[in-house]
Amino acid sequence: MSTREAAVADAAQETTTPTVRRVLRRGILWVVMLVVVLLVAVLLTSMVRGSVQAGVPLAADNPAPGGAMALAEVLRDQGVDVFEAGSLDGVREAVDRADGPTTVLLWDIDLVLETEQHDDLLLLTDDLVVIEPTAFELQDLAPGIAQAGSTGGSFDADCDLPAVQAAETVTATGAAYRIVRDDVDATGCLGDGDRYALVRLERPSATVTVLGLGEALSNGVIETDGDAALALHLLGAHRTLVWYIPTFADLGPGGPTLAELTPPWVTPLAVMLLLTALGAMLWRGRRIGPVVVEDLPVVVRAGETMEGRARMYERSGDRLHALDTLRVGTLGRLARACGLPRTASVTEISDAVAALTGRDRGQVAGILIDAKPTTDAELMRLSDDLLRLEAEARERGRP
Amino acid sequence: MAFSGWLVAALAVGTVPVVLLGGWPGLAVWLALVVLAVVVDLVLAGSPRALRFAREVPPRMRLGESAPARLTVTNTGRRTVRGVLRDAWQPSAGAAPTRQSLRLPAREQRVITTTLTPTRRGERRAAHVTVRSFGPLRIAARQATTRVEGAVRVLPPFHARKHLPSRLARLRELDGRTSVMVRGQGTEFDSLREYVRGDDVRSLDWRATARRRDPAGGGVKLVVRTWRPERDRRVVLVVDAGRTSAARIADEPRIDTAFEASLLLGALATHAGDRVDLLIWDRRVRGRVQGATGADLLARMVDTMAVVEPELIEPDWSAVPGLVRQVTTHRALVVLLTSIDAPGAARGLLAALPQLTRTHAVVVASVTDPAVLEAAGERGDREQVYRAAAAERAVLDAERVASAIRQSGADVVRAAPAELPPALADHYLALKAAGRL
Repeated sequence: MSTREAAVADAAQETTTPTVRRVLRRGILWVVMLVVVLLVAVLLTSMVRGSVQAGVPLAADNPAPGGAMALAEVLRDQGVDVFEAGSLDGVREAVDRADGPTTVLLWDIDLVLETEQHDDLLLLTDDLVVIEPTAFELQDLAPGIAQAGSTGGSFDADCDLPAVQAAETVTATGAAYRIVRDDVDATGCLGDGDRYALVRLERPSATVTVLGLGEALSNGVIETDGDAALALHLLGAHRTLVWYIPTFADLGPGGPTLAELTPPWVTPLAVMLLLTALGAMLWRGRRIGPVVVEDLPVVVRAGETMEGRARMYERSGDRLHALDTLRVGTLGRLARACGLPRTASVTEISDAVAALTGRDRGQVAGILIDAKPTTDAELMRLSDDLLRLEAEARERGRP
Repeated sequence: MAFSGWLVAALAVGTVPVVLLGGWPGLAVWLALVVLAVVVDLVLAGSPRALRFAREVPPRMRLGESAPARLTVTNTGRRTVRGVLRDAWQPSAGAAPTRQSLRLPAREQRVITTTLTPTRRGERRAAHVTVRSFGPLRIAARQATTRVEGAVRVLPPFHARKHLPSRLARLRELDGRTSVMVRGQGTEFDSLREYVRGDDVRSLDWRATARRRDPAGGGVKLVVRTWRPERDRRVVLVVDAGRTSAARIADEPRIDTAFEASLLLGALATHAGDRVDLLIWDRRVRGRVQGATGADLLARMVDTMAVVEPELIEPDWSAVPGLVRQVTTHRALVVLLTSIDAPGAARGLLAALPQLTRTHAVVVASVTDPAVLEAAGERGDREQVYRAAAAERAVLDAERVASAIRQSGADVVRAAPAELPPALADHYLALKAAGRL
């Protein structure tokens, strides 16, 4: 086209890209919402974490069935000062503050303490109650006593320990212990043969009580039979009780950390690489202007009706119908080849074709009219016959 | 705001100072440098909002051709704008190149040329221009998109034009022929001329021969009457833009084939001195060309056709006789360009035909699918035999519709997409030769 038409230059052109100010104004709501959501999330997390931390079994501040808050509260009501300690330093502090002898309950659930710390602990207190100790703890704290599997059930008072006498019957499950050396001053109680659930060992520095039935102290079980009496007597013997559950604060200084082993630039380098990746995203992610949309016309494939019908024939397996369709088409073309009018009947066409091709009339009639295909192979054979007949008729019919 | 690959490179190079300066100080220093570079770039980049655009687009072009679209960019800002410009056309406008580099000092003007090679007819639009203007360090850029609209009307290609010269030659042959074959109701007396061997003896005009007796003696000069084909007839083309016209046969929608055929017939008929009117119809008039002749006719036809796309609705044939009556009340050649396939779908057409054939000569032109005819002959395996049966069924159905159309007094022209335009033109010439218009 040779003619050209200049579009009018618009003085007040509309720029669709928003300015920085507009982006900020539009985005402020989202930023505020994001901050609110973050605050709520942080708040919820801290609340959930608080309740999760209190879930240590047999902790003095755990009100769950596995905790021992009930016992600690009753002891406090009875005038016993209960200190909860998370480290050996805490124990030391509590013992220093107390006037008079103290009981220390040791429940080393995470197996944190080392031999030196056990020794320190023995020096700190006169009365140490160890709940379900392992072989390693026994070796340090109660030499001569060994683990003897687990035990459980109701135990009658079978020794003259005041706590056991007061309890009369103790019902709980836990660990059993055996006194393996004769040269120690040990008393076994709540026994089952030579296995005991409670062993008191008099050592030069302190009295060590090994209690295998930790469950007897828990909120859930303590009300059963004389469990409460046993617990109160064992732990309430002195004015001060230190409830010591060692934590990772007791771990001694370990080896060098990962940060000390790596060069100082590793983390900044990772940050730099992260920023590089971010830059690449910004570089590739910003497209140059919006996409221009356009309506596309409908596209319909013409052959679809035919294909659909073919599949329908095939699925229904209607061979005779398919063949008859082919026959009708062939008959129309044959009639034209033989010079017959449109109105000619099928038998007329069939006879004319037989005469033209010199074939047997019955055979031609069979192909064109009578034969009924029962298998796909027969259908294919007949369709091939139709093609052959048509080609032959056309060949002979040609002047 | 946008960034270039240089930002990524600058950040990647930053790993060196991080390692050498030992960690956080190196990171801080390098990041500060990069941020400074970005800020400098953004501040010093020419504002893409200060650019003014003006388009110069050809109003129409033919499908298959290329045409330049010019965009004049004026920088009204105070800084040079250097960067990338994207002139955003619709994908089927075939604009190339899509990105062009731009360097435009303040108070200057540049012309950006984009070559359009549309892939589809219709109205192809340009929506906006996006400019990404980089700062002197080419790290960061300012970007703005400005709405600058433009449109080019892409006309149907009229490939069938190549058949026109031969048909025009045939049309001229009709002129001045004496054969009775030419004579019919509509032929008109043209002139008298001397007999030459081969003329039909039945067209001798004895009275004129007697009058032309040569006074100087000599032999008898026989005079024959000559006839010319009828002129000033009306041809009404009705193109169906309904759902069946959307079907694509041999990679061409039926409606495009119908357009090609009507363009060829229109060109031929207007040369023959007939008046051509075009109606594009589904349930409403989608396009109409009336009262145009000569070159103006073709221009208006392609212009009207360019924007019409088929819609997925059934055409309402019952209104067509009324429409034709609006165009002309006299006898005319009415050409219906539609599709003939299933008897059920053709019911509306068949019901409306008798009304048309009562007063007009009617031709129904339809595209046949060569793939269907091919499928009817292919019987290699089981699947193909069933396909052949389905194809045969389709052919028979179309045949039934065609014979029903013939029974109601209309002619049927059917051909493959490439052959339909010349076939329709030939049919028109045959009608004209027979004087049936």
